[in-house]
Amino acid sequence: MLKMTHLSKVYRTEVVETYALRDFNIDVKEGEFVAVTGPSGSGKTTFLTIAGLLETFTGGHYHLDGIEVSQLNDNARSKIRNEKIGFIFQAFNLIPDLNVYDNVEVPLRYRGMKAAERKQRIMDALERVGLASRAKHYPAELSGGQQQRVAIARALAGSPRLLLADEPTGNLDTQMARGVMELLEEIHREGATIVMVTHDPELAARAQRNVHIIDGQVVDLSEEPRFHAHNARVADA
Amino acid sequence: MFAYYFQLGLRSLRRNPILTALMVMAIGFGVGASMITYSVFRATSNNPIPQKSGQLYAVQIANWKTDDLDKGEPPSALTYTDAMAFMQAHKAKRQTALYPIAPSVIPADASRLPIEENSYAWYGDAFAMFDIPFLYGGAWTQAQDDAHAAVVVIGRKLNDKLFNGANSVGKTIDLDGHDYRITGVIDEWNPQPLFFDPVNTGGFGDPIGLFIPFTRAVDLQMSTAGNNNCNDTPGPGWSNWIHSECIWIEYWAELPTTADADAYKRWLTGYAAEQQRAGRFKWAPNVRLRNVTDWLDFNKVVPPESKISLLVSLGFLLICLVNTIGLLLAKFMRRAPEIGVRRALGASRREIYVQFLVEAGTVGLTGGVLGLLLTGVGVLGVGWVFDEQIARLATLDASLVLLTLIAAVLATLLAAFYPTWRAAQVQPAWQLKSN
Amino acid sequence: MQIKPILAALKRHKAGTVLIALQIALTLAIVCNALIIIRQRTEHLSRPTGMIETDLLTVANRWVGVDEKATPSLGKTDLEALRGMPGVVDATYANSYPLRGGGWSTSVNITPEKKKEMAHTTLYFSDDHALATMGLKLVGGRNFRPDEIDWVDPKAFDTTPVVIVSKALADKLYPDGSALGKVLYHSGATKPSTIIGIVERLQVPWTGTWAGNFAENAILIPRLLTGNFGSYLVRTQPGQLERLTKAAPALLFKTNRMRVIPDERGVRTFAQVREQAYKSDRGMAVLMGVVCAVLLAITAAGIVGLTSFWVGQRRKQIGVRRALGATRHDILSYFLTENLLIGAGGVIVGAVLAIGMNLWLVSHFEMERLSLLYVAAGVVALLLLGQGAVLAPAMKASRVPPVEATRSV
Ligand SMILES: Nc1ncnc2c1ncn2[C@@H]1O[C@H](COP(=O)(O)OP(=O)(O)O)[C@@H](O)[C@H]1O
Ligand SMILES: [Mg+2]
Repeated sequence: MLKMTHLSKVYRTEVVETYALRDFNIDVKEGEFVAVTGPSGSGKTTFLTIAGLLETFTGGHYHLDGIEVSQLNDNARSKIRNEKIGFIFQAFNLIPDLNVYDNVEVPLRYRGMKAAERKQRIMDALERVGLASRAKHYPAELSGGQQQRVAIARALAGSPRLLLADEPTGNLDTQMARGVMELLEEIHREGATIVMVTHDPELAARAQRNVHIIDGQVVDLSEEPRFHAHNARVADA
Repeated sequence: MFAYYFQLGLRSLRRNPILTALMVMAIGFGVGASMITYSVFRATSNNPIPQKSGQLYAVQIANWKTDDLDKGEPPSALTYTDAMAFMQAHKAKRQTALYPIAPSVIPADASRLPIEENSYAWYGDAFAMFDIPFLYGGAWTQAQDDAHAAVVVIGRKLNDKLFNGANSVGKTIDLDGHDYRITGVIDEWNPQPLFFDPVNTGGFGDPIGLFIPFTRAVDLQMSTAGNNNCNDTPGPGWSNWIHSECIWIEYWAELPTTADADAYKRWLTGYAAEQQRAGRFKWAPNVRLRNVTDWLDFNKVVPPESKISLLVSLGFLLICLVNTIGLLLAKFMRRAPEIGVRRALGASRREIYVQFLVEAGTVGLTGGVLGLLLTGVGVLGVGWVFDEQIARLATLDASLVLLTLIAAVLATLLAAFYPTWRAAQVQPAWQLKSN
Repeated sequence: MQIKPILAALKRHKAGTVLIALQIALTLAIVCNALIIIRQRTEHLSRPTGMIETDLLTVANRWVGVDEKATPSLGKTDLEALRGMPGVVDATYANSYPLRGGGWSTSVNITPEKKKEMAHTTLYFSDDHALATMGLKLVGGRNFRPDEIDWVDPKAFDTTPVVIVSKALADKLYPDGSALGKVLYHSGATKPSTIIGIVERLQVPWTGTWAGNFAENAILIPRLLTGNFGSYLVRTQPGQLERLTKAAPALLFKTNRMRVIPDERGVRTFAQVREQAYKSDRGMAVLMGVVCAVLLAITAAGIVGLTSFWVGQRRKQIGVRRALGATRHDILSYFLTENLLIGAGGVIVGAVLAIGMNLWLVSHFEMERLSLLYVAAGVVALLLLGQGAVLAPAMKASRVPPVEATRSV
């Protein structure tokens, strides 16, 4: 599904060059649930933005669903984002000017879907996150957990095959975090590929596979004794 | 605290120089355009004799049939017949008939060319009625009016030209080949609009520099240098003309109290009724008494260009203000997080108000300075649209400078009111919520 | 397009939306009315007087210390002197001339009935040299003969047996084109005047709107007015005009120094006459033009300013939209559509305002009705202006990278 080989990403500012990713290799199979961990500033978000075609990279190769994405123009990338990828951001990123319903509708609009189908999908998605009754509310009128569930509904509505989540529970308390995690697991069971960045070892443990990033590189987890137990669970699955 | 807010304002304004420049320009252009056109309007709608404008009345009487009148209003001028009847009746405290004449002064020095001077024929009462200041001597007397005396009052400029500014009372000058004895020299007297005769002057013009008795001018058969309107051919010769229904004379009465004015109006109506009975008027009495301001209004002394351009520029200012409201709103709301922090750190709503109003006031003042520059340039260019006679009355004086600055600041503060109110509504907790 | 969500979003920015719409509305109202003023003022700027305006000099003259009865002989002497000057083609004396600003106006009819006025007209009192001096084109009939010319006291003037009229007046009186040889009655006179000649065109002395409905109705009367004031018209040979602006008045003073030729506007070439006559019209048109231009610029700047602010404020959500699959073109058209919606609201209100303002102006000033064509043109212009103004900020918005969505605030 998602394959990066020798990928690198350099941020050039006037003062310094930062290698956010270097010789970065990862292969996520169709239907996998991967948790990405790593210290702050190690390049997790950068990895997700490149994976989600939000940004271009400096060197190496990235195949998404068998396509080499570095060749694609902006419009083609928009189309892939719209149709294949769902995003869940740490800061929810709902559009404050739009109510819950209209927020969930945004990606469907760009897909040029018929009104009836849009409505169906929006209500289904909101149903799933348990917020159907809040369709007319504005983001500012919702709690953090509810906002994140709207964001998940927005990601779900388009039935993406790849769901990218950047610390989806980072702004939530444990209780809410569990709820969000259960939702993700449910989506995963339905066949979506999920890549989730998290700081929470407990949540990471519930994924099929853990990837650890340090200094912009994937580190082999077998050399990290702290995570052996989790690996065992992965093996079980 | 004010200094602190002023500093904050300046810093904020410097942060988006383009937005700031836009606002300053909008205010500057709006206020500038308004002030330029206002300077003209102020000049043309000026009350030229404020101390007496309520006591001086122009007299009108309908001596023509209603068909010949404009919207049923009596004409703006009188016949010789009516003017003389009013003078003889002598019903007001003071009164005068008047008309513009065009005599030329023939200098005693034969090598000099004749001098043309704006002149009027009227009665001795006029000088006191119109509060005309004398430099030397004074008005001629009523006895001299009655005697059709060859006397003259001249203006200061003519006195300078002919007598090098010396007291010339008692000396004689030659007007069109007739000698006149000077009874007085008037000082600067230049009411604008020329309220006593907007009909013939259009309201604006050079100062009047020479006056002779009405009775004398008629004796010499001096035609009017102004308008003469007839609704019928008067027949040949002077005598036929002055006894015709042709109108060419303005008439003023000084009536100190409203009771006087009422009494005069009654008498005037009675006179018209008498004319009707005598068969001269075949219509009911139709008379008017208009005081100075009404008279100027009636004669449309303020040119329509002045009103229209003032209106358009006020509309222009309004648009500039709407523009400024929008830009200020953008500018202030962009700082919602800053406001939230300030509020969280203990700033009261009042303090937020003051901070932002001071910032807006700074924009207003800068816009005012720009507006002042534009007004200065624009006032010089007034002659481009208006008559020179009017253009030279539009000046940038201290009161206009002050008005420009005050208008700019007030307008901006007015525009800032809504954006500031919005800014003050920012809750201390806002920046804690996402986005 | 996605109009509904745009409207939904605009509802959350009521103040900004209303401000832009209001600005567009007011601008439309003022620009439409300013355009009408410009049109009204410039309409007649290029109206021909009917005269050959080049090589024509006007000299205002006032006799000093003379009896009115003496003026005919003085006038004759002056005219002979002027006509004898080298470089002068012809000269005449008249009470007024086109664009002078002051003159004689009266009513005219083809029957001696006093009541009904068929047309309003100006009277030009002049002689048999008028046609040649003014450069009028005779399209029918003949010029006055010298024996038809006389002097008359203006206060005693009644009528003359013969007149020459402008074609506009001839056609007004006799629409079938048969005016030549027919009669007219002017100023309520009971004696007829026979039309012996028709000139192609001859404008009245006034340029104001009040003279608009008789702007080319003129009657030439074969009489010179006694009294001490009048104007000499002098036609010069090509290239002699400038010299004669000094030489002609000098000669007049040499002939008789007991006269006044005003310093201001005393001696004018006809080019100066035309320029001064239309000065305030041209000035007003230029003023309104400048106002319109500045107004449009300020409105455009206001739209740029507010939209830029909106773009800045919405960077994050633009990033989110991009992340969710919006193309650059989607973002661009979002802002263009948004502006079009606001603009549409603005111009609807503005059109109503423009018409209301015009009705008010019509009732208070000598203003023309606003034609809907102007409103339509204004509407299109303002919508285009809005789209143009929003283009730069919208382009900027479309360049917001999708990764903006992941940045905190
Ligand atoms: N837009 C950017 N410009 C410059 N440096 C950046 C930018 N985005 C991220 N970085 C740098 O790249 C590195 C990785 O950042 P990021 O992927 O956000 O880390 P993480 O999400 O793991 O905390 C950091 O050192 C960060 O400073
Ligand atoms: Mg991160």
